Amino acid sequence: MGYAEFKAPKGVIKVELELKGGTISRISLSGDFFMYPEDALEELERTLAGVRADRGGLLEAVRRFYVSTGVLTPMVEPEHWVEAILRAAGGIQ
Amino acid sequence: MNSSVVINITRKRENQPIEWRLLPMRVDDAFMSMAIDEALLKLNAEGRSPNTVRFWRWLPSTVSIGCFQSVEREVDLGAAKKYGVDVVRRITGGGAVFHDYEGELTYSVVCGQGDVPDDIIESYKLICGGLVRGFERLGLRVEFKPVNDVQVNGKKISGSAQTRRWGSVLQHGTILIDPDVRRMFELLRVSPEKISDKFISSVFERVTTVMRELGRKLGFDEVMVAMSEGFADALGMELVEGELTRKELELAALLKPKYASEEWLKKR
Repeated sequence: MGYAEFKAPKGVIKVELELKGGTISRISLSGDFFMYPEDALEELERTLAGVRADRGGLLEAVRRFYVSTGVLTPMVEPEHWVEAILRAAGGIQ
Repeated sequence: MNSSVVINITRKRENQPIEWRLLPMRVDDAFMSMAIDEALLKLNAEGRSPNTVRFWRWLPSTVSIGCFQSVEREVDLGAAKKYGVDVVRRITGGGAVFHDYEGELTYSVVCGQGDVPDDIIESYKLICGGLVRGFERLGLRVEFKPVNDVQVNGKKISGSAQTRRWGSVLQHGTILIDPDVRRMFELLRVSPEKISDKFISSVFERVTTVMRELGRKLGFDEVMVAMSEGFADALGMELVEGELTRKELELAALLKPKYASEEWLKKR
Protein backbone atom coordinates (compact mmCIF):
# COMPACT_ATOMS: atom_id res chain seq x y z
CA MET A 1 0.00 0.00 0.00
CA GLY A 2 1.27 3.47 -0.86
CA TYR A 3 0.31 6.71 0.85
CA ALA A 4 1.12 10.31 0.10
CA GLU A 5 -0.14 13.84 0.56
CA PHE A 6 0.06 16.76 -1.81
CA LYS A 7 -0.92 20.33 -1.08
CA ALA A 8 -2.91 21.87 -3.91
CA PRO A 9 -3.48 25.66 -3.90
CA LYS A 10 -6.65 24.89 -1.90
CA GLY A 11 -6.59 21.78 0.15
CA VAL A 12 -4.38 18.82 0.89
CA ILE A 13 -5.08 15.74 -1.26
CA LYS A 14 -4.38 12.47 0.57
CA VAL A 15 -4.01 9.29 -1.45
CA GLU A 16 -3.91 5.69 -0.34
CA LEU A 17 -3.47 3.15 -3.12
CA GLU A 18 -2.46 -0.34 -4.14
CA LEU A 19 -0.80 -1.24 -7.41
CA LYS A 20 -0.81 -4.46 -9.45
CA GLY A 21 1.82 -4.51 -12.15
CA GLY A 22 2.00 -0.74 -12.38
CA THR A 23 -1.77 -0.36 -12.52
CA ILE A 24 -3.97 1.03 -9.74
CA SER A 25 -5.98 -1.80 -8.21
CA ARG A 26 -7.45 0.17 -5.31
CA ILE A 27 -7.41 3.87 -4.47
CA SER A 28 -8.85 5.98 -1.70
CA LEU A 29 -8.84 9.78 -1.84
CA SER A 30 -9.42 12.11 1.08
CA GLY A 31 -8.61 15.63 2.18
CA ASP A 32 -9.92 19.11 2.91
CA PHE A 33 -10.63 20.20 -0.67
CA PHE A 34 -14.04 21.09 -2.07
CA MET A 35 -15.80 19.16 -4.83
CA TYR A 36 -19.16 19.96 -6.36
CA PRO A 37 -21.08 17.67 -6.40
CA GLU A 38 -19.62 15.82 -3.44
CA ASP A 39 -20.50 12.29 -4.56
CA ALA A 40 -18.29 12.73 -7.63
CA LEU A 41 -15.26 11.76 -5.50
CA GLU A 42 -16.41 8.14 -5.50
CA GLU A 43 -16.75 8.36 -9.26
CA LEU A 44 -13.17 9.62 -9.48
CA GLU A 45 -11.97 6.66 -7.41
CA ARG A 46 -13.84 4.25 -9.69
CA THR A 47 -12.40 5.99 -12.75
CA LEU A 48 -8.86 5.62 -11.46
CA ALA A 49 -9.07 1.91 -10.65
CA GLY A 50 -7.44 0.05 -13.53
CA VAL A 51 -5.47 3.07 -14.76
CA ARG A 52 -1.69 2.80 -15.18
CA ALA A 53 0.13 4.81 -12.55
CA ASP A 54 2.09 7.01 -14.94
CA ARG A 55 1.66 10.73 -15.52
CA GLY A 56 0.16 10.49 -19.00
CA GLY A 57 -2.40 7.81 -18.22
CA LEU A 58 -3.46 9.44 -14.96
CA LEU A 59 -3.81 12.91 -16.43
CA GLU A 60 -5.96 11.60 -19.25
CA ALA A 61 -8.21 9.69 -16.84
CA VAL A 62 -8.61 12.62 -14.46
CA ARG A 63 -9.31 15.09 -17.28
CA ARG A 64 -11.88 12.69 -18.72
CA PHE A 65 -13.54 12.55 -15.29
CA TYR A 66 -13.75 16.37 -15.14
CA VAL A 67 -15.32 16.57 -18.59
CA SER A 68 -17.77 13.70 -18.19
CA THR A 69 -19.03 14.74 -14.74
CA GLY A 70 -18.76 18.54 -15.04
CA VAL A 71 -17.32 18.47 -11.54
CA LEU A 72 -15.97 21.68 -9.97
CA THR A 73 -13.03 21.76 -7.56
CA PRO A 74 -12.09 25.36 -6.72
CA MET A 75 -8.31 25.88 -6.84
CA VAL A 76 -7.65 22.17 -7.37
CA GLU A 77 -6.74 21.10 -10.92
CA PRO A 78 -6.41 17.68 -12.58
CA GLU A 79 -2.61 18.00 -12.34
CA HIS A 80 -2.83 18.17 -8.55
CA TRP A 81 -4.61 14.83 -8.27
CA VAL A 82 -2.03 13.31 -10.59
CA GLU A 83 0.84 14.68 -8.52
CA ALA A 84 -0.67 13.28 -5.32
CA ILE A 85 -1.27 9.86 -6.92
CA LEU A 86 2.24 9.69 -8.39
CA ARG A 87 3.71 10.45 -4.98
CA ALA A 88 1.68 7.64 -3.40
CA ALA A 89 2.64 5.24 -6.21
CA GLY A 90 6.29 6.31 -5.98
CA GLY A 91 6.30 5.30 -2.35
CA ILE A 92 5.61 1.70 -3.38
CA GLN A 93 8.05 1.29 -6.26
CA MET B 1 -27.38 39.65 27.74
CA ASN B 2 -30.48 38.11 26.18
CA SER B 3 -31.03 41.10 23.98
CA SER B 4 -33.64 40.62 21.34
CA VAL B 5 -32.17 40.86 17.89
CA VAL B 6 -33.94 43.11 15.47
CA ILE B 7 -32.14 43.78 12.26
CA ASN B 8 -33.45 46.46 9.97
CA ILE B 9 -31.38 47.07 6.93
CA THR B 10 -33.24 49.26 4.51
CA ARG B 11 -31.26 48.46 1.39
CA LYS B 12 -33.81 47.47 -1.20
CA ARG B 13 -33.62 45.57 -4.44
CA GLU B 14 -36.27 46.34 -7.06
CA ASN B 15 -38.00 48.60 -4.51
CA GLN B 16 -38.92 45.59 -2.47
CA PRO B 17 -36.90 44.57 0.58
CA ILE B 18 -35.98 40.92 0.27
CA GLU B 19 -36.72 39.17 3.51
CA TRP B 20 -34.72 36.32 4.92
CA ARG B 21 -35.42 34.57 8.18
CA LEU B 22 -33.11 34.93 11.19
CA LEU B 23 -33.43 32.06 13.65
CA PRO B 24 -32.75 32.49 17.37
CA MET B 25 -29.39 31.20 18.57
CA ARG B 26 -29.52 27.52 19.43
CA VAL B 27 -27.36 25.18 21.48
CA ASP B 28 -27.50 21.58 20.21
CA ASP B 29 -25.31 18.55 19.97
CA ALA B 30 -23.35 18.04 16.76
CA PHE B 31 -25.74 15.53 15.25
CA MET B 32 -28.82 17.70 15.70
CA SER B 33 -27.01 20.78 14.39
CA MET B 34 -25.90 18.98 11.24
CA ALA B 35 -29.40 17.54 10.80
CA ILE B 36 -31.01 20.98 11.09
CA ASP B 37 -28.66 22.38 8.46
CA GLU B 38 -29.45 19.56 6.02
CA ALA B 39 -33.19 19.86 6.72
CA LEU B 40 -33.09 23.60 6.00
CA LEU B 41 -31.17 22.99 2.76
CA LYS B 42 -33.55 20.29 1.55
CA LEU B 43 -36.73 22.14 2.45
CA ASN B 44 -35.39 25.39 0.97
CA ALA B 45 -34.78 23.54 -2.29
CA GLU B 46 -38.34 22.22 -2.17
CA GLY B 47 -39.64 25.74 -1.64
CA ARG B 48 -40.85 24.86 1.86
CA SER B 49 -38.26 26.82 3.88
CA PRO B 50 -37.34 30.48 3.41
CA ASN B 51 -33.80 31.71 2.93
CA THR B 52 -32.36 31.56 6.41
CA VAL B 53 -29.47 32.77 8.55
CA ARG B 54 -28.82 31.09 11.88
CA PHE B 55 -26.19 30.93 14.61
CA TRP B 56 -25.52 28.17 17.06
CA ARG B 57 -23.13 26.67 19.60
CA TRP B 58 -22.13 23.04 20.01
CA LEU B 59 -22.76 21.18 23.26
CA PRO B 60 -20.74 19.14 23.92
CA SER B 61 -17.82 20.74 22.10
CA THR B 62 -17.23 18.95 18.81
CA VAL B 63 -14.71 18.38 16.06
CA SER B 64 -16.43 18.50 12.69
CA ILE B 65 -14.61 17.07 9.69
CA GLY B 66 -15.12 17.81 6.02
CA CYS B 67 -17.12 15.26 4.03
CA PHE B 68 -14.00 14.08 2.16
CA GLN B 69 -11.73 13.74 5.17
CA SER B 70 -10.58 10.55 6.83
CA VAL B 71 -11.58 10.73 10.47
CA GLU B 72 -8.56 8.71 11.66
CA ARG B 73 -6.14 10.87 9.73
CA GLU B 74 -7.59 14.20 10.88
CA VAL B 75 -8.75 13.68 14.45
CA ASP B 76 -7.02 12.33 17.53
CA LEU B 77 -9.95 10.19 18.64
CA GLY B 78 -8.21 9.34 21.90
CA ALA B 79 -7.96 13.03 22.78
CA ALA B 80 -11.59 13.56 21.76
CA LYS B 81 -12.68 10.78 24.09
CA LYS B 82 -10.47 12.09 26.90
CA TYR B 83 -12.03 15.56 26.71
CA GLY B 84 -15.61 14.40 26.03
CA VAL B 85 -15.56 16.00 22.59
CA ASP B 86 -17.95 14.65 19.94
CA VAL B 87 -16.79 14.06 16.37
CA VAL B 88 -19.07 14.48 13.36
CA ARG B 89 -18.71 14.36 9.58
CA ARG B 90 -20.28 17.31 7.72
CA ILE B 91 -22.00 17.18 4.33
CA THR B 92 -19.72 20.02 3.25
CA GLY B 93 -16.11 19.75 2.12
CA GLY B 94 -13.18 21.58 3.65
CA GLY B 95 -11.20 20.89 6.78
CA ALA B 96 -11.61 19.81 10.37
CA VAL B 97 -12.82 22.40 12.88
CA PHE B 98 -12.86 22.40 16.68
CA HIS B 99 -16.16 23.89 17.83
CA ASP B 100 -15.44 24.86 21.42
CA TYR B 101 -18.68 25.45 23.31
CA GLU B 102 -17.01 28.15 25.38
CA GLY B 103 -15.46 30.15 22.59
CA GLU B 104 -16.79 29.41 19.14
CA LEU B 105 -19.90 30.49 17.29
CA THR B 106 -21.10 28.76 14.12
CA TYR B 107 -23.29 30.31 11.46
CA SER B 108 -25.32 28.86 8.61
CA VAL B 109 -26.73 30.55 5.54
CA VAL B 110 -29.28 28.67 3.44
CA CYS B 111 -30.61 30.13 0.20
CA GLY B 112 -31.49 29.34 -3.37
CA GLN B 113 -28.68 28.78 -5.83
CA GLY B 114 -30.01 31.73 -7.80
CA ASP B 115 -29.47 34.00 -4.79
CA VAL B 116 -25.68 33.69 -5.04
CA PRO B 117 -23.26 33.84 -7.99
CA ASP B 118 -22.81 30.60 -9.98
CA ASP B 119 -19.06 30.90 -9.62
CA ILE B 120 -18.13 29.07 -6.43
CA ILE B 121 -15.40 31.42 -5.22
CA GLU B 122 -17.62 34.45 -5.96
CA SER B 123 -20.42 32.90 -3.94
CA TYR B 124 -18.07 32.32 -0.98
CA LYS B 125 -16.92 35.90 -1.37
CA LEU B 126 -20.50 37.18 -1.22
CA ILE B 127 -21.52 35.21 1.84
CA CYS B 128 -18.15 35.62 3.61
CA GLY B 129 -18.62 39.32 2.83
CA GLY B 130 -21.27 39.22 5.55
CA LEU B 131 -18.68 37.94 8.00
CA VAL B 132 -16.17 40.56 6.85
CA ARG B 133 -18.69 43.33 7.54
CA GLY B 134 -19.63 41.71 10.83
CA PHE B 135 -16.01 41.57 12.00
CA GLU B 136 -15.58 45.20 10.91
CA ARG B 137 -18.55 46.15 13.07
CA LEU B 138 -16.71 44.52 15.96
CA GLY B 139 -13.69 46.72 15.25
CA LEU B 140 -11.48 44.23 13.40
CA ARG B 141 -9.69 44.67 10.11
CA VAL B 142 -10.22 41.49 8.17
CA GLU B 143 -10.12 40.26 4.60
CA PHE B 144 -11.68 37.46 2.60
CA LYS B 145 -9.11 34.88 1.58
CA PRO B 146 -10.32 32.63 -1.25
CA VAL B 147 -11.65 30.02 -1.28
CA ASN B 148 -13.34 30.06 2.09
CA ASP B 149 -11.47 31.91 4.83
CA VAL B 150 -11.60 35.26 6.58
CA GLN B 151 -8.23 36.41 7.90
CA VAL B 152 -6.67 39.02 10.15
CA ASN B 153 -3.06 39.78 9.13
CA GLY B 154 -2.83 36.43 7.35
CA LYS B 155 -4.25 34.43 10.26
CA LYS B 156 -7.55 32.62 9.97
CA ILE B 157 -10.33 33.93 12.21
CA SER B 158 -13.18 32.25 10.33
CA GLY B 159 -13.47 29.35 7.90
CA SER B 160 -16.53 28.32 5.92
CA ALA B 161 -17.75 25.37 3.89
CA GLN B 162 -20.49 25.27 1.30
CA THR B 163 -22.51 22.67 -0.52
CA ARG B 164 -25.03 23.00 -3.32
CA ARG B 165 -27.72 20.38 -3.50
CA TRP B 166 -31.12 20.07 -5.06
CA GLY B 167 -30.94 23.68 -6.29
CA SER B 168 -30.11 25.34 -2.98
CA VAL B 169 -26.96 26.38 -1.15
CA LEU B 170 -25.88 25.73 2.42
CA GLN B 171 -22.85 27.58 3.71
CA HIS B 172 -21.82 27.20 7.31
CA GLY B 173 -18.71 28.24 9.12
CA THR B 174 -16.84 28.95 12.27
CA ILE B 175 -16.33 32.27 14.04
CA LEU B 176 -13.41 32.00 16.47
CA ILE B 177 -14.27 34.17 19.47
CA ASP B 178 -12.09 32.67 22.20
CA PRO B 179 -11.64 28.94 21.69
CA ASP B 180 -9.06 26.86 23.53
CA VAL B 181 -6.48 26.89 20.74
CA ARG B 182 -4.13 24.54 22.59
CA ARG B 183 -6.87 21.95 22.86
CA MET B 184 -7.77 22.56 19.21
CA PHE B 185 -4.34 21.41 18.14
CA GLU B 186 -4.42 18.47 20.53
CA LEU B 187 -7.60 17.29 18.83
CA LEU B 188 -6.70 18.00 15.21
CA ARG B 189 -3.92 16.26 13.38
CA VAL B 190 -2.39 19.04 11.32
CA SER B 191 -0.81 17.84 8.10
CA PRO B 192 2.95 18.55 7.94
CA GLU B 193 2.44 19.19 4.23
CA LYS B 194 0.04 22.00 5.03
CA ILE B 195 2.34 23.67 7.52
CA SER B 196 5.59 23.39 5.60
CA ASP B 197 4.01 25.06 2.61
CA LYS B 198 3.43 28.20 4.56
CA PHE B 199 6.91 28.24 6.09
CA ILE B 200 5.42 28.43 9.51
CA SER B 201 7.14 26.70 12.37
CA SER B 202 4.25 26.83 14.78
CA VAL B 203 0.68 25.89 14.06
CA PHE B 204 -0.39 28.48 16.63
CA GLU B 205 0.58 31.19 14.19
CA ARG B 206 -1.97 30.10 11.60
CA VAL B 207 -5.08 30.89 13.60
CA THR B 208 -6.26 33.86 15.60
CA THR B 209 -9.37 34.75 17.60
CA VAL B 210 -11.56 37.78 18.27
CA MET B 211 -10.28 37.73 21.84
CA ARG B 212 -6.64 37.84 20.78
CA GLU B 213 -7.20 40.58 18.21
CA LEU B 214 -9.43 42.84 20.31
CA GLY B 215 -7.96 42.07 23.71
CA ARG B 216 -11.37 41.45 25.24
CA LYS B 217 -13.90 38.67 25.13
CA LEU B 218 -17.15 39.49 23.39
CA GLY B 219 -20.47 37.92 24.26
CA PHE B 220 -22.05 35.50 21.83
CA ASP B 221 -25.05 37.83 21.42
CA GLU B 222 -22.84 40.76 20.49
CA VAL B 223 -21.06 38.74 17.84
CA MET B 224 -24.33 37.36 16.52
CA VAL B 225 -25.87 40.82 16.15
CA ALA B 226 -22.80 42.16 14.33
CA MET B 227 -22.70 39.18 11.98
CA SER B 228 -26.45 39.32 11.32
CA GLU B 229 -26.15 42.96 10.32
CA GLY B 230 -23.13 42.07 8.22
CA PHE B 231 -25.03 39.38 6.35
CA ALA B 232 -28.04 41.63 5.77
CA ASP B 233 -25.74 44.33 4.43
CA ALA B 234 -23.62 42.05 2.23
CA LEU B 235 -26.55 40.08 0.83
CA GLY B 236 -28.81 43.10 0.38
CA MET B 237 -31.71 41.68 2.35
CA GLU B 238 -33.66 42.27 5.49
CA LEU B 239 -33.46 39.73 8.29
CA VAL B 240 -36.73 39.02 10.04
CA GLU B 241 -36.78 36.99 13.21
CA GLY B 242 -38.51 33.65 12.89
CA GLU B 243 -38.58 30.16 14.34
CA LEU B 244 -37.83 26.69 13.04
CA THR B 245 -41.03 25.17 11.73
CA ARG B 246 -42.44 21.85 12.86
CA LYS B 247 -41.67 20.45 9.41
CA GLU B 248 -38.03 21.47 9.70
CA LEU B 249 -37.69 19.96 13.16
CA GLU B 250 -39.37 16.75 12.02
CA LEU B 251 -37.03 16.35 9.07
CA ALA B 252 -34.04 17.16 11.28
CA ALA B 253 -35.11 14.43 13.70
CA LEU B 254 -35.21 11.97 10.77
CA LEU B 255 -31.76 13.02 9.55
CA LYS B 256 -30.05 13.08 12.95
CA PRO B 257 -29.33 9.30 13.25
CA LYS B 258 -27.22 9.41 10.07
CA TYR B 259 -24.89 12.00 11.60
CA ALA B 260 -24.65 10.06 14.86
CA SER B 261 -23.82 6.76 13.07
CA GLU B 262 -20.39 5.12 12.97
CA GLU B 263 -20.99 4.31 9.32
CA TRP B 264 -21.26 7.99 8.38
CA LEU B 265 -18.37 9.06 10.65
CA LYS B 266 -16.01 6.39 9.28
CA LYS B 267 -17.10 6.80 5.67
CA ARG B 268 -13.51 7.84 4.76
